Amino acid sequence: MDLALNRADYLQVGVTSQKTMKLLPASKSRATQKVVIGDHDGVVTCFGMKKGEAVAVFKTLPGQKIARLELGGVLNTPQEKIFIAAGSEIRGFTKRGKQFLSFETNLTECIKAMHISGSDLFLSASYIYNHYCDCQDQHYYLSGDKINDVTCLPVERSPQITPVLACQDRVLRVLQGSDVMYEVEIPGPPSVLALHNGNGGDSGEDVLFGTSDGKLGLIQVTTSKPIHKWEIRNEKKRGGILCMDSFDIVGDGVKDLLVGRDDGMVEVYSFDSANEPILRFDQMLSESVTSIQGGCVGKDGYDEIVVSTYSGWVTGLTTEPTHKESGPGEELKINQEMQNKIACLRSELEHLQYKVLQERENYQQASQSSRAKTALSSISINDKFTLNKDDASYSLILEVQTAIDNVLIQSDVPIDLLDMDKNSAVVSFSSCDSESNDNFLLATYRCQANTTRLELKIRSIEGQYGTLQAYVTPRVQPKTCQVRQYHIKPLSLHQRTHFIDPDRPMNTLTLTGQFSFAEVHSWVVFCLPEVPEKPPAGECITFYFQNTFLDTQLESTYRKGEGVFKSDNISTISILKDVLSKEATKRKINLNISYEISEVSVKHTLKLIHPKLEYQLLLAKKVQLIDALKELQVHEGNTNFLIPEYRSILEEADHLQEEYKKQPAHLERLYGMITDLFIDKFKFKGTNVKTKVPLLLEILDSYDQNALIAFFDAA
Amino acid sequence: MLLPVFTLKLRHKISPRMVAVGRYDGTHPCLAAATQAGKVFIHNPHTRSQYFSAPRVSQSPLESDVSLLNINQAVSCLTAGVLNPELGHDVLLVGTQTNLLAYDVYNNSDLFYREVADGANAIVLGTLGDVASPLAIIGGNCVLQGFDHEGNDLFWTVTGDNVHSLALCDFDGDGKKELLVGSEDFDIRVFKEDEIVAEMTETEIITSLCPMYGSRFGYALSNGTVGVYDKTARSWRIKSKNHAMSIHAFDLNSDGVCELITGWSNGKVDARSDRTGEVIFKDNFSSAVAGVVEGDYRMDGHVQLICCSVDGEIRGYLPGTAEMRGNLMDTSMEQDLIRELSQKKQNLLLELRNYEENAKAELSGLPNEADGQRDVIPANTRLHTIFSVNLGSETQAAHTELCVSTSNDTIIRAVLIFAEGIFAGESHVVHPSIHNLSSSICVPVVPPKDVPVDLHLKAFVGYRSSTQFHVFELTRQLPRFSMYALTRPDSASEPISYVNFMITERAQRIALWLNQNFLLPEDTNIQNAPFQACFTSLRNGGHLCIKIKSSGEITINTDDIDLAGDIIQSMASFFAIEDLQVEADFPIYFEELRKVLIKVDEYHTVHQKLSADMADNSNLIRNLLVRAEDARLMRDMKTMKNRYMELYDLNKDLLNGYKIRCNNHTELLGNLKAVNQAIQRAGRLRVGKPKNQVITACRDAIRSNNINTLFRIMRVGTAPS
Repeated sequence: MDLALNRADYLQVGVTSQKTMKLLPASKSRATQKVVIGDHDGVVTCFGMKKGEAVAVFKTLPGQKIARLELGGVLNTPQEKIFIAAGSEIRGFTKRGKQFLSFETNLTECIKAMHISGSDLFLSASYIYNHYCDCQDQHYYLSGDKINDVTCLPVERSPQITPVLACQDRVLRVLQGSDVMYEVEIPGPPSVLALHNGNGGDSGEDVLFGTSDGKLGLIQVTTSKPIHKWEIRNEKKRGGILCMDSFDIVGDGVKDLLVGRDDGMVEVYSFDSANEPILRFDQMLSESVTSIQGGCVGKDGYDEIVVSTYSGWVTGLTTEPTHKESGPGEELKINQEMQNKIACLRSELEHLQYKVLQERENYQQASQSSRAKTALSSISINDKFTLNKDDASYSLILEVQTAIDNVLIQSDVPIDLLDMDKNSAVVSFSSCDSESNDNFLLATYRCQANTTRLELKIRSIEGQYGTLQAYVTPRVQPKTCQVRQYHIKPLSLHQRTHFIDPDRPMNTLTLTGQFSFAEVHSWVVFCLPEVPEKPPAGECITFYFQNTFLDTQLESTYRKGEGVFKSDNISTISILKDVLSKEATKRKINLNISYEISEVSVKHTLKLIHPKLEYQLLLAKKVQLIDALKELQVHEGNTNFLIPEYRSILEEADHLQEEYKKQPAHLERLYGMITDLFIDKFKFKGTNVKTKVPLLLEILDSYDQNALIAFFDAA
Repeated sequence: MLLPVFTLKLRHKISPRMVAVGRYDGTHPCLAAATQAGKVFIHNPHTRSQYFSAPRVSQSPLESDVSLLNINQAVSCLTAGVLNPELGHDVLLVGTQTNLLAYDVYNNSDLFYREVADGANAIVLGTLGDVASPLAIIGGNCVLQGFDHEGNDLFWTVTGDNVHSLALCDFDGDGKKELLVGSEDFDIRVFKEDEIVAEMTETEIITSLCPMYGSRFGYALSNGTVGVYDKTARSWRIKSKNHAMSIHAFDLNSDGVCELITGWSNGKVDARSDRTGEVIFKDNFSSAVAGVVEGDYRMDGHVQLICCSVDGEIRGYLPGTAEMRGNLMDTSMEQDLIRELSQKKQNLLLELRNYEENAKAELSGLPNEADGQRDVIPANTRLHTIFSVNLGSETQAAHTELCVSTSNDTIIRAVLIFAEGIFAGESHVVHPSIHNLSSSICVPVVPPKDVPVDLHLKAFVGYRSSTQFHVFELTRQLPRFSMYALTRPDSASEPISYVNFMITERAQRIALWLNQNFLLPEDTNIQNAPFQACFTSLRNGGHLCIKIKSSGEITINTDDIDLAGDIIQSMASFFAIEDLQVEADFPIYFEELRKVLIKVDEYHTVHQKLSADMADNSNLIRNLLVRAEDARLMRDMKTMKNRYMELYDLNKDLLNGYKIRCNNHTELLGNLKAVNQAIQRAGRLRVGKPKNQVITACRDAIRSNNINTLFRIMRVGTAPS
């Protein structure tokens, strides 16, 4: 990584959404570019940098929250018209700030994503996609799951208009007119789309996608079928991808891929001769990167990556060297600029402080009167609660536009809260009296000054469901706190998938009764994550799921009056049966539940668990030996006397320890699931085997696959 | 940006806090550190090829310039420095749970090897007060001991609990060093020789102490707090979720004032300004930091800051040069300043907007029903807090209670209390279920010790369906003796143990003290002396009676000697009493102590006997081994086998014997701790000079094994002349 970029902050606006900052094309070659950005207050700000100071070109009046900002214009001319999506309206501004377009779409929902190409406008709200040409409605599509982003292959280079939708159910939908041409399955829920090299690559058909679990990929969308070009898995467990751009920052004549993530990571990938991406640069900013673009803003002649962050900072990562390396005279000048800037800020602050003091007094006085009320202003909180496939745990990310004072985490289900190394907040677990107050977890996070982002990891247990609440108190007077709720679903460790293995032995649970399609759908939503809340179109629907921990599967097919659930894991069926009957009783619906249990499936599940269990046991054993072996090594000076097995443990010691640390309590969780399997197997037979559980644990302690299977058969 | 001037990677682990740099040959600085398997390694990069070969020292098989020193016991503390000024070079001091070794590395000889029954948890080397020669002061179970270079025990005193950290610092600015002691009972005590001149109560075990500059010193706690004291006042402190492994004072930015360098358990090293605690430099290791020391390790005349990680990585930093203007971090200070100012501006703007919204809400004057949705609460909502004593019920033990209530129909969604030392973590949360919400919440508080505690409350106030709540923040102090409930005087249950002393204070002043330190019901009014106040402990139901006579004589009846000591110390600081002689009698406690003393004697005897046995056995081993080998040489396999069988049995016996010795030793340690604590407790019943007299006299009595005199001293406070 020979790329060195220096950070320079330019300006702060209000809270920003994904893809709301763009650089206007430069008017002359090699002149600095202007930045245009839209925020949640509805303000569009356009500014340029002059001598290190941000100089505003224009600023619009506040209005509805801006969800997207794109540039457009007549094809093959500079794209310098600014379009914003706010609420259900599209507005257009010239680069001087004059509004030339206000287009009220007929969408009932707020616009979530927008793409512009010439006179074609592609919009999507949560589930609806619309295509307009010259503000005339052309095509329409209703998606089965949420649409996160929309793009379109370059119109000038392909014979027909080919829009691509990024849908939450891990699918890219390629449209033609109002119909789906085909679907492309990708490894995670896509969060952002971009044209490769900004123009679709050599073929004009290359589309980049980024997923909310941090994966990147390139797909060639041909007229007949998709071709997967490459994919970057998220090995380092970085955040989800929010924005992408192509720009030659390295300076080798090939456009590099710039990526912004929701954990504040900015990455640059360049391409080798085989067109495979290689990571060239990464830098951590403290908050989500909402938009990214390459260009030249700060100083003429120096390329840079311009990013905007969640709380509205526009920051440049520039190739311009810092003042330390430049000449002595110049350093002084830059320092002078800085000093001016600081002095200016200070005086501004003083003025504000005085004003705030006055207001505070007014507020105090007002609070004396008995009729007065105090309302709360809403400080925007950005949160994400997602299941990680790798370690079958949930991660909760809270991001606030200002510093967080403390966060209270409360849960009415037993869960494990794991601390993250990157958090600096001091966590403290409080004792809770679960019987009277439904608390199973009470923990406070007291944040250090200037913490705006908090990441937590949560391990849930399948079958135990309820709500997790986070009370977030930002560090702003008058102090208020906001509550966010997250549902822990009964089958919390399941994830949507596109296909399942049909050859596995399956247990089946069938529901019949007088219930509507919407009702049965709402039950499925209640039980399983990643199901769209809106009932999908059609009379009958099938969803496939995979257990992220055990890799067992679940197929659910339902229609009005009937629901069929098939899984190779008997515990999954047992949980579904319990939850569904409870829900139905609550709503006083008469349900007929019947099930078919396959004896073979238990053995099959145990076999699925076997390699995982064996690996964990071996790992635990090896890790236990490391310290003792190291001591021996110090004593003897070499390791020649050890048997090869022990020598290899010593050689891999660091790796083993890392691996072990990554999966805390993995073994306990596996034991728990085997125990559940054991109990559930016999529950369906009508026998209670809880008394035999200690015996089972004994067998697990001296684990042997055959003995375990024999025990399951014999008991 | 400040970069390390050297980086070494040794293939030895380093035990936390056990690193020292010394010039063991008088010129070359070497790094000594405790490592695994009861060994100490000495890294000597300067004089290669010159090795000591002796029974204690061996060359490391892993590294060419490292020699290993066998201690054969887990090392519990380590330091290096000048112990004998005539020697001309530094001495390595290694403490274990039973012994202290002063080792001359250059001459490969022991200066002394002393048995220390109370263990050595912490060690510091230097001059103390008026004692002329340098002392190696070790802190063990409640005991402080100082040795000179001949191993003479020149300093001895007791402290409140197991010692975890020691430092020498000129606390009162008289040019002589005082001893700072951090112990397990969360106290930092300052000893001017054997007199306690100051006591500061912290919130956790004090794991490290270091002198900074003048009367300033740094400290670290086991809960991740580090901070700086100036005399008895804390300048600043910060708390991190990581643990501070080692602290050290070093002037890293060349401004003439030392910064506090902290090595953390997550591998971070940071330097903080001693005035403000602001971070001026930080770096990261891949594993926990084991120690932070300083020394001229490159022998170029400049002293470096040397940081060591537990995995054996060592980095040295030179102080920043003048051109860097104290700017040691890589991002420019201006950028950071601008970011910080902008953040402040943003916060102020947000606050302003809050007030504007409020004004708007007021003007619109919405009807009440909508309030819940809009999260609007009456502006005159107030929060009341009351402390009270709850005598408990069948399901709940007696406790102190903090009741929080709002002044109107708003509800309290949750109460968070941040306080140190009274909860398992640093906070306690009460979050009623949605069905049990009301406008008041009672929080049970059970402080484990009698210390005044500041409770920082945050209450979330709103309505049932609110998704946003107002946060009311307030701070309340829990009185020191909140766990004692006022009861009717009842002579029958009056404890027989008592302390008796005279003070010259008016009854009203004493009543004021009672009011501030106990939770008295509101209608309690105290008339003129004489009067008496009786309390019951909520912890164990024990009784406490405080009687004040008109003559100013005060009698406190309680069986709890610690409580009596706490009350006397609290009164002394409230009334600013400098010296107080007290007459005390605790028959029950004294009886226990007598038993303990007898036990100590027994354990000592057993210990001696076991040692003798072991010596016998080792002779036997030698014998058997020789005979077995003889047999082997004579090719008499049968006899050889028999001899080895015997040897095996003997080995088993030895192992068993060792286990017994171990148990005996832990028992002995426990009992010795009890004895030391008894002396400390007897001291705490007095104030000022009488206190020191009691401690010294008690110690003499124990030395001369005169148990009856010991009890007499504890009772009357002076040695019989």
